[in-house]
Amino acid sequence: MAWINTFNLAEASALIPSHHNLTYHLIVIVISAIAAFVPRYFPMRFFTNRKIPEWFNEWMKYVPISLFTALVIKGIFISSDYGLVQDHVKLLGNIMIYGHAGQIVAAIFVAITAYFTRSMAASVLVGLVGVWLFGLFL
Amino acid sequence: MAKAHQINPERARWLEVLGVSMPLCLSYLPIGVACGILLNAAGMNFVLTFLVSIMVFSGGAQFTLASLLVSNAPITSIFMTLFFLELRYALLGSSLSRYMRNESQKSILIFSASMNDENYAINYLKFVTDKNWTAKDALLVEYYSLASWATGNLLGGLIGSAVQIDLVIVDFALTALFIYMIVMQVRQRLTLLIGLLSAGLSIYFLTLVKSTLGIILATVLASFVGFLIENRVRRYAKDPDHTWILGKLFRPSSTRNTVEDRQHIKKQEAAQAKEQEGSETVDAKDNGE
Repeated sequence: MAWINTFNLAEASALIPSHHNLTYHLIVIVISAIAAFVPRYFPMRFFTNRKIPEWFNEWMKYVPISLFTALVIKGIFISSDYGLVQDHVKLLGNIMIYGHAGQIVAAIFVAITAYFTRSMAASVLVGLVGVWLFGLFL
Repeated sequence: MAKAHQINPERARWLEVLGVSMPLCLSYLPIGVACGILLNAAGMNFVLTFLVSIMVFSGGAQFTLASLLVSNAPITSIFMTLFFLELRYALLGSSLSRYMRNESQKSILIFSASMNDENYAINYLKFVTDKNWTAKDALLVEYYSLASWATGNLLGGLIGSAVQIDLVIVDFALTALFIYMIVMQVRQRLTLLIGLLSAGLSIYFLTLVKSTLGIILATVLASFVGFLIENRVRRYAKDPDHTWILGKLFRPSSTRNTVEDRQHIKKQEAAQAKEQEGSETVDAKDNGE
């Protein structure tokens, strides 16, 4: 979602093509809804419907941890054009690092908070304050 | 009977579930507003942004949709892009299916339609750690998150470009949510290693294929390696649960036992009690004779 930084709102509204009317938008919405629904429904229907071999369940057990780390990595280290994010840390003499410096530090604080409090709300709050704070001076 | 499954029967179940989903709802609201603003800039009015948020209900897909509309992409490429973006839900659905086995076709349809990365994360965690968690509760979590997401989108569509939102900060709420989920998931050394593996693989695949397909590739591969390693260890180790790799990581005392652990302990205690009882009756018999 990081590409939004480069998204100029004023420019965007000036660029709307003339054929983008209500009907067109409704078609787009239905198309998008189908694209979102098919991968959600059919695999789940398939696997709740029949006997699943135990090895498949064992495999799926490791899906959440892999997926969540992949999503976090994408958020912190991958830019909108799918390159590695490069950031300069002012505090350390402007050295170049990969990934958003403020987010990396905030992420560590979130992990510590989650580890000791087990509270989702506290973790998210620490994350928001952290990314704002460290973004200011890193 | 209806109250038998409640964690705390004093409080209504829907309130309990609302409490569980509250952090998610609160982080969805500003992101939803941002999403509504972008869709509005791409030419949709607030009714349409509201409609998209309910029918698509996916942050990633909606942000992408806004950019595709602005770049005037043809409908076929809108469909293909979103389809590949959403393909990862095939994995999420499959991994939740074991908890939804006893549900009707209709409720699986309704459940899967409003599944999302974030509410999946909450539901998966609850299904694993809370044996009282039902499919009904899971659906409720989805509806709460949908409600706050749709509200955000509606507001964003109404505000339009009148307000500037710092998306980097708002977006980090979701990253923080996932970090929390990771910390909650890591209970064995192997889970930690698989997480690290997935981190490396996701960087490699995301920069290689230049699309969110990289996330799917990394997830499938890393989770499969986890399964393979556990499978090998379970087959060849004498005492698999006490090997280094499947051993438990240290956690603060309040978080050390999962529901499964407690169930296991309870079962053991019950078995012991039964054994004792058995021997006592034998004793009684002996005495009688």
